[in-house]
Amino acid sequence: MKFRDLRLLLVLSIPALIAAAPAAKTPGGLYSDAQAVAGGVLYSAHCAICHGRMLEGTFETPALQGRFIANWSNAPLSAMFDYIRNAMPQSAPGSLGSDENAKILAFLLKMNGFPSGGQELSPAQTASMRMLKPSVGKAAAPNK
Amino acid sequence: MAYDDRPERGWRRRAILRSSLGAAAMMGLQACAATAKTSRAGRAPLVSSKRAALAPMRITPDQIVDVKCCLRPLRAAGPNLGVEKAGGALVVHNYGHGGSGWSLSWGSADIAVGNAMSALPDAVAVVGCGIVGLTTAIVALRAGLKVTVYARDPIERTRTFRASGSFTPDSRIALAAQTDPSFADQWERMTRFSWKAFRTLLGVPGNPVEFIDSYQLSDRPIERRVWLPDPMVTGSFATKGQPQQNSEFARYSDRIRDIVPQAQPLIQEDIPFPVAYATRTSQMHFNFTSYAHILMSEFFARGGQYVSRTFHSPAEMGTLKEKVVIHCTGYAARDLWQDKTVIPVRGQTGWLVPQPEAKYAVRYHNVSLLSKTDGVVVMNTNPDIGDMLGVGESLELPRRSDIEAGLTLIAPVFASRERDA
Repeated sequence: MKFRDLRLLLVLSIPALIAAAPAAKTPGGLYSDAQAVAGGVLYSAHCAICHGRMLEGTFETPALQGRFIANWSNAPLSAMFDYIRNAMPQSAPGSLGSDENAKILAFLLKMNGFPSGGQELSPAQTASMRMLKPSVGKAAAPNK
Repeated sequence: MAYDDRPERGWRRRAILRSSLGAAAMMGLQACAATAKTSRAGRAPLVSSKRAALAPMRITPDQIVDVKCCLRPLRAAGPNLGVEKAGGALVVHNYGHGGSGWSLSWGSADIAVGNAMSALPDAVAVVGCGIVGLTTAIVALRAGLKVTVYARDPIERTRTFRASGSFTPDSRIALAAQTDPSFADQWERMTRFSWKAFRTLLGVPGNPVEFIDSYQLSDRPIERRVWLPDPMVTGSFATKGQPQQNSEFARYSDRIRDIVPQAQPLIQEDIPFPVAYATRTSQMHFNFTSYAHILMSEFFARGGQYVSRTFHSPAEMGTLKEKVVIHCTGYAARDLWQDKTVIPVRGQTGWLVPQPEAKYAVRYHNVSLLSKTDGVVVMNTNPDIGDMLGVGESLELPRRSDIEAGLTLIAPVFASRERDA
């Protein structure tokens, strides 16, 4: 499980701000399970039609696992939050509220293996968060 | 005499057997979907020629192998070809070509690379790998620059491959009232440059670019459609942020009539389909697979580098090693660059199994079929609302039912042969 924890590390702060973020080595714990569950409901209603029920994407629509983490790892999490807020759902951009988008982001973090905690994710926090470790994810686990 | 949709089957079949030449043409096919422009039959003299023998297309729904949807990046003022600083880099824009990205790719790339070279770089970055980005990279390489393309996906997975891929250089390219007075001239320059560049690809193995004959068919006399302002429509882009009617769209095709084949009416005996009226023209189109292969081959042969990368803000342009960046992200610029003047115009295409024996295009009841190397493109541009079709729609999911409905609408064109076969 240690390997898994490392693999799923959600690192706080961009490197320049690490000194100012003492919790930088704390793995995850930045959203609540309840928030992610609510986000899953929202995801099913607003996102799954394009990105797939399992976040798998299509030839034309990006998957929200695997390479998705690599694509976004070089930007603060707030960039993803802003993107979701401004550009998604593509059929009605900006139609979801900040609270709803935070729930969806929590769901994406959970589905990509970043651990939950007791604290709710708030948009204001995301500027100092970053997904630095590409997640292998459950989908890539060997079949047994 | 003019008859309705019901074909006179025996007459038609004999006519086909007698005929000896193949020919076809289509009007109004536009990149990434069509509008309902009709031909210029007008008062031009009728063309007399031998009736064409055309293999019928197989258009039953079981022939559908793909349905694709994309969003055209309509920009009211026309494409953004401006230059600005972002994150310390000089950013040269080349995006927002509406339904004309394929058609203007070379001319637009020539302008963008020219703007980039005015900063005297040795190397440039190109962000985006659709037809505009990749063509821009080729033009920059040919100009002697080192080029790196940064893109989330290679061309095969971009919106470029979800277009219809016909030469339609003024399809949703701009809104007339929003363009700079110099834009029409710039458009013509881009179009003529592109036309010459496409001609250099004619006859290349794989037929990346080719002409085929295209028929516009109708039960009624065919007249050129002109969109006049509708006084019942209140508001416009200026007041609503989106075009409200067809008359707002800029149209420039008359500027290039000297090089682009025009539709000619056929006398009834020469019409190779069981309809009363038809025009024929020669339509240029692009075969995506061979075209992309040829461009990518040249890109790598000239030393181009491809880097898989996404961008999240304009400031990230400054993190690239190249200090001159040509920005070619098409519709994605709406969010990456926060350019809310980019308006989505949804379009979709159905794809039937390739039918090289039926190498022509046909349009009837606002449904078109265009035979390409990677399949027969089906577009159903009903309801017949012209360039307004899909404006403001950004749900980028295909609706197969629209394609199947289109096949039903155009079926009478082939009914006689299917019955007699």
